[in-house]
Amino acid sequence: MGALASYLRAIGRTVLSVGDGLAVTFSYLLRAPVTLQYPDRMRVPVIELLPERSRGMLEVDLDLCTGCAACDRACPIDCIALEVVKHAERGRLIQRFDIDLGKCMFCGLCTEACPTGAIRHSHEFEGGTGDVRALVVPFVDAPRQPAKAKQEPPPAPKPLGSILRARMPGPWDRPRPPARPEGGEHAG
Amino acid sequence: MSPELQQVGREEFVLNMGPHHPATHGVLRFVLHTDGEIMRRAVPEVGYLHRGLEKLAEAHTYAAYVPFTDRINYLESMFCNQVWSMAVERLLGLQVPRRAEYLRVIACELNRIANHCIALGSIAMDVGAYTPFVYLLREREAINDLLEALCGNRLTYHYVRIGGVAHDVDEGWQGKVRAYLDHLEPILDELHSLVGGNEILVRRLGGVAVICASDAVGWGLVGPNLRASGVDWDLRRDRPYSVYPELSFEVPVGRGEQGQVGDCYDRWTVRVAEMRQSVRLLRQALERLPAGDILAKVPRSIKPPAGEVYQPVEGARGELGLYLVSDGSPKPSRAKWRSSSFAALSIVEHLSRGLMIADLVALIASLDPIAPEVDR
Ligand code: SF4
Ligand code: SF4
Repeated sequence: MGALASYLRAIGRTVLSVGDGLAVTFSYLLRAPVTLQYPDRMRVPVIELLPERSRGMLEVDLDLCTGCAACDRACPIDCIALEVVKHAERGRLIQRFDIDLGKCMFCGLCTEACPTGAIRHSHEFEGGTGDVRALVVPFVDAPRQPAKAKQEPPPAPKPLGSILRARMPGPWDRPRPPARPEGGEHAG
Repeated sequence: MSPELQQVGREEFVLNMGPHHPATHGVLRFVLHTDGEIMRRAVPEVGYLHRGLEKLAEAHTYAAYVPFTDRINYLESMFCNQVWSMAVERLLGLQVPRRAEYLRVIACELNRIANHCIALGSIAMDVGAYTPFVYLLREREAINDLLEALCGNRLTYHYVRIGGVAHDVDEGWQGKVRAYLDHLEPILDELHSLVGGNEILVRRLGGVAVICASDAVGWGLVGPNLRASGVDWDLRRDRPYSVYPELSFEVPVGRGEQGQVGDCYDRWTVRVAEMRQSVRLLRQALERLPAGDILAKVPRSIKPPAGEVYQPVEGARGELGLYLVSDGSPKPSRAKWRSSSFAALSIVEHLSRGLMIADLVALIASLDPIAPEVDR
């Protein structure tokens, strides 16, 4: 008899506590949803929601870069390939500045080491590609003179991400998936 | 019965759980020797995620290794950053500014809450309740947003640096954290109605896989797993570091509410209680955050004098220790991590004798091991 009573009590407790849980679940019908339908139903692109310090894919503004290689030395995993050569007539030339974004761990040590702010984290993060070689982004086309350490007047900063977008094919260049019919859209 | 059949009866069935199994929390493998549903033993096989992080330390300078520590345990990167920084600071004899210490406490306690969200969510998920996992992920996302605004990344923070922290906070961010804490406390009560007090969860966890206090100490369990067994031990209070002595908080221990002290349910309740204590710590730390520098004067090239230190901190999973040897060069000569997940896994074989397979899943989930931290 005692065993039966405790068995029945356990069933009672189960029903009650499941009811408790379901009450919480159903209360969410009345609360605003927190999910966003990424990527094709966003009212504001995610990139605009990111905080300022967000460390996205790197880009280099060669109008600022002095070719000092501080970033190259600071990087723990050698994803920056920087070559500066001496030209007989034109002096020092930056011949190559490639960043392997596939290796990069977005630690920010290179940007902190850069004295001019030439290398910086954009907010771009949608770098998915079918070919891993596409993640090595070259920032120099033809050998060019490095910038002077002190420039007068200092060049206006380029919009964050614009350099990278121009250099690397990304989801930003692909056609968007066709928009689905409206309706049933949640917050976002 | 024929002799062959008797032989069959005595054989054990060997079953592989993992390395890719939803209940093994990453790439972990258990070899189960079972007799029907009852286990004779379950042997954890580790090493699938070995990345040689200890050896890597020998190839990098002290400052350049900090982002690697993020990868030791992706759920408690802040603590890994902190251990490394504290060890190097001790070798250098560096004094960290007080504002930086408070910011470390704030960042770490937020990280602890985020970690416990995942731990509780996966315990619930592994015993069959999926909804709480999603609800807790939502809470963790909010912390990820806060930490991203603070340090620029959602998981691999690279925030605690040698000599201090990387970024300062402003009033607006502190307000956001306070608002989040106000939001979190009712959520913890809601979690209890949603799943913590649920009879099914209680029955699946209560009295299951009991770890007695002497076993817990003997096998080197730490953190919430140790405290759930009734051992009152918390490095933040018992080996004080940083500014924890200035803050008041309680150390929750297992009381055997639904069965015995040291069962899976105690490991659940201790984590919930720790989240409440973290909220308390965060409020105090935000309240008292002093003005000042966030980074001490650190030499450009860090070359600690030859010597060795062992530096532990109370991470989200318990004692996270680093043994660091310097030979006076810019790179460490040896780094050894003492990780809590490895200790937690070592007790599984001992506890698994006579356990049901389904209870093993509850046991693993409640120990909250993280595969990358086991293997490093
Ligand atoms: S973010 Fe870190 S890993 Fe990436 S290039 Fe810069 S230093 Fe190297
Ligand atoms: S990006 Fe900055 S650190 Fe790197 S070479 Fe150019 S100026 Fe120097």
